[in-house]
Amino acid sequence: MRIGKLLIAAAAALPLSISLFTPAPAAEGMARKPAASADTRPTPRLADGKPNLGPEVSGIGFWDRGLGPAVGGARFPPPEEIPFQPWARALYDYRQSRTFVDDPHVRCTPPGGPRQFAVPFGLQIIQVPAIQRIFVLSGGAMRPWRVIYMDGREHPDPEVFNPSFFGHSVGHWEGDTLVVDTVGFNEQFWLHRDGYPHTHALHLIERISRPNYMSLNYEITIDDPLAYTRPWTTSWVKEWDEDEEIIEYFCNENNRDQFVLQPELAPGGK
Amino acid sequence: MTYRRTIPGVLAALMVMAPLGAALAHHSFAAQYDGRKTVTIEGAVTKVEWMNPHGYFFVDVVDPATGNVTSWSCEIAAPAALMRSGWTRNSLKPGDLVVVEGALARDGANALNAGNVTLAASGKKLFGRAANEEREAKQARESAN
Repeated sequence: MRIGKLLIAAAAALPLSISLFTPAPAAEGMARKPAASADTRPTPRLADGKPNLGPEVSGIGFWDRGLGPAVGGARFPPPEEIPFQPWARALYDYRQSRTFVDDPHVRCTPPGGPRQFAVPFGLQIIQVPAIQRIFVLSGGAMRPWRVIYMDGREHPDPEVFNPSFFGHSVGHWEGDTLVVDTVGFNEQFWLHRDGYPHTHALHLIERISRPNYMSLNYEITIDDPLAYTRPWTTSWVKEWDEDEEIIEYFCNENNRDQFVLQPELAPGGK
Repeated sequence: MTYRRTIPGVLAALMVMAPLGAALAHHSFAAQYDGRKTVTIEGAVTKVEWMNPHGYFFVDVVDPATGNVTSWSCEIAAPAALMRSGWTRNSLKPGDLVVVEGALARDGANALNAGNVTLAASGKKLFGRAANEEREAKQARESAN
């Protein structure tokens, strides 16, 4: 039909520029900077020469959006490529079918493991060489933070360590890559909003680097033999927002939606 | 209550070109709202909750036939996200007459997730969703079933 053809022709004629730049939606009201890949400023470094994964002396800036296609800017393989144990695939499918209403993060609980790198309101990485620790501060949820020990300590006895949202993380540098090894997770969070399961057996390896000023490479290896038949790896990039600070945000300030999505957890709920 | 269906405009279609990974809600839009059911309400703002994780404003809608008043809950994005698109905590005040276009709540409540919000007195238009929420809403509007 003529009008249809006209619309198709118009769509085809839409400038390539739409696919090449990432325009802000009209509602955003402010121009977006060029993509991170266009910025060539090098990795900032601390006094000891290690990459600075956080802000510089000015203190402005944080890791906000991710550049992957999944929720929170993450990237995961399609489910058929993930080596789920059968029960884990069934659980993943169930969580998807329920449009994620059962996600504990609905109730503002902490984003454990890689979830911390795929939630709103970004994060900050603060290295404190003087005490051999790195802190990862989340801007969302209830502003939770985790600590990565950089002093070469061992993981604690699993019989003694209380499973937790962020587990026990030890890190070391391999060149310019921070390699973080974490065990001791509880099962009260989802690895990502898409619903990938894990168990207390999760052994998470994160490889974090800042190849240039604007980019944080975040690679994870999920090693959880109870949930997956072999370890699997994925990665995404987070972009530095150099104009803004993490804002104050407390997710449970007025969290009405939790009583709609998870009514069984409301006071007096069945 | 009065409501009418509206057809998403070209502007909404263009909004899908949002940057990937832009700020999103702490839960899935689709879990709570049906992006395929757009409703439009008109009435007076009675209350504004400018808080996290989502803002809300409440509108009294009068049914012209019966005179019955229904209070509608309108969910908007977190204040930090809204301020990027021109809102302030004083953008809506009790007493303001507004026209609100939104996605209907799934659970049958008089509740919507607000898209276009128009202040009747000034004609000023605001948009209630963060970029990623709008992307989810648009996907729902265009889904096959």
